[in-house]
Amino acid sequence: MTAAPITIEVANLTAAFGERVVLNGVNLTVAEGEILVIMGGSGSGKSTLLNHLLGLLRPRQGVVKLLGLDINQARPAEMRDLRRKMGVAFQGGALFSSLSVADNIMLPLREHTDLDPNTIEIMARLKLEVVDLAGFGDLMPAELSGGMTKRAALARAIVMDPKLLFCDEPSAGLDPVVSAAIDDLILRLRDAMRMTIVVVTHDLDSAFKIADRICVLDHGEIIALGTKDEIRHSGNQRVQNLLNRRSVDVILDPDAYLRRLFGEG
Amino acid sequence: MPQPSAAGMAERVGRATVRGLDELGFAAVLLAQSLYWLAAGRRQRQPVRIAAVFTQAREIGIDALPILTILTFTIGVMLAIQGIYSLKAFGAESRVTTGIALSVVREFSSLITGILVAGRSGSALAARLGTMKINQEIDALTVMGINPVRYLVAPPLVAMVVMVPALTMWAHIVSLFAAGLYASTQLELSFDAYLTQIFEVLRLADLAHGLAKATIFSVLITIIGVVNGAMVTGGAEGVGRMTTRSVVHAISAIVITDMIFAFAVAR
Repeated sequence: MTAAPITIEVANLTAAFGERVVLNGVNLTVAEGEILVIMGGSGSGKSTLLNHLLGLLRPRQGVVKLLGLDINQARPAEMRDLRRKMGVAFQGGALFSSLSVADNIMLPLREHTDLDPNTIEIMARLKLEVVDLAGFGDLMPAELSGGMTKRAALARAIVMDPKLLFCDEPSAGLDPVVSAAIDDLILRLRDAMRMTIVVVTHDLDSAFKIADRICVLDHGEIIALGTKDEIRHSGNQRVQNLLNRRSVDVILDPDAYLRRLFGEG
Repeated sequence: MPQPSAAGMAERVGRATVRGLDELGFAAVLLAQSLYWLAAGRRQRQPVRIAAVFTQAREIGIDALPILTILTFTIGVMLAIQGIYSLKAFGAESRVTTGIALSVVREFSSLITGILVAGRSGSALAARLGTMKINQEIDALTVMGINPVRYLVAPPLVAMVVMVPALTMWAHIVSLFAAGLYASTQLELSFDAYLTQIFEVLRLADLAHGLAKATIFSVLITIIGVVNGAMVTGGAEGVGRMTTRSVVHAISAIVITDMIFAFAVAR
């Protein structure tokens, strides 16, 4: 695994909204063909980390390199070339509601390639087959169920055969069977196309099923990063809390509590 | 709770001013970027799609024709009624055509068209962009390498700049026709004579005055709709709030610009 080239490199990434620091000096590398799962509770900073990896937010400090390109220093043309090599499946699907499912999937091809319309249609059908949505291309996004929306989003994300795939909560809110199907799909994509895949999730079962390595975020810091076994046997209490679904022990400070109640925060 | 005080008041005014300037700056950047993509998009292999412009032009222009026709017909009749009534005081009813021709062509057509398009299409633009923003569709465009300004802002801008003056021309025709219908029944004036008078009164400069305003309005409506849509936060309620805001701002901007334009050009 260490021999494979590095696809994603994050060094000393710090992010903040105003004075609130959301990510604090995150360091992370992902090798080619690896599936990295980013886990963490609500407010741990995992969505913020993902948005920085996607170049949707600019870091306060630190470097994000995708396929060797520093995305915050890159020229627009370089960035556009990089964008063609990456696919993103957003949490809510983010399908364009004015376009049919097939048109959604064809959009990147239409905008980025000079392929003729027939070829584009065939490629879209091909991807619909991959995600088990064959025959649903003519539906509008509003007509899809939750699981179908996520799969359609995945089909759109992979239509350009990207080297890099990002999935935000691919199985959140889905029933266990559909969720397992999506996990299998992610594994198939990696094996068939040698994609490097980053999955953000808080679904433990799914994380341990698909991950090569798991990165656990808490309060903006990586508290554990390693293979499934390393994470399972981590000595870190907060990691174990997350794995065993234990609520966090609240440290009581009566003075601070009273100050909060009286709004003197 | 901070007490209301002069300092607090000054701070609020200051913050509101900064926010306002921020928004103006954002609007200027959006306009500049739209023009950039229109000019350079093809070279960057990211052209502004002509099909998208046509779709928008149909929604903004053709679909507005029925309601615009009704409104401007009414305005024409209303102007004729009021014109005849007010000129009666001087016994000068027969000069009503001058008033009708100039006020329709220089003022009312572009104003009514602007307000109608702001209400129909400016709000629709804000709502569409706002919904797309909260559904992460704008993020999706960005990560696909499709510039959102090129894809979502430039087509309606072009469509607006073409369609609002075109609708204004249509408004001229309908309201002058309607005013003529009314005036020719009330005065000793045939419809033909009315038309002749209209063409005698109107100069090219009057037409240009109205159409120039319509063009400015079209840019204002688009950019205000887009800015408000892009600033949506807080789910469906936020979309509703910003949609309303876009209509209020666009109509205010139109009315104020109208006055400034008339002040600067017509004196």
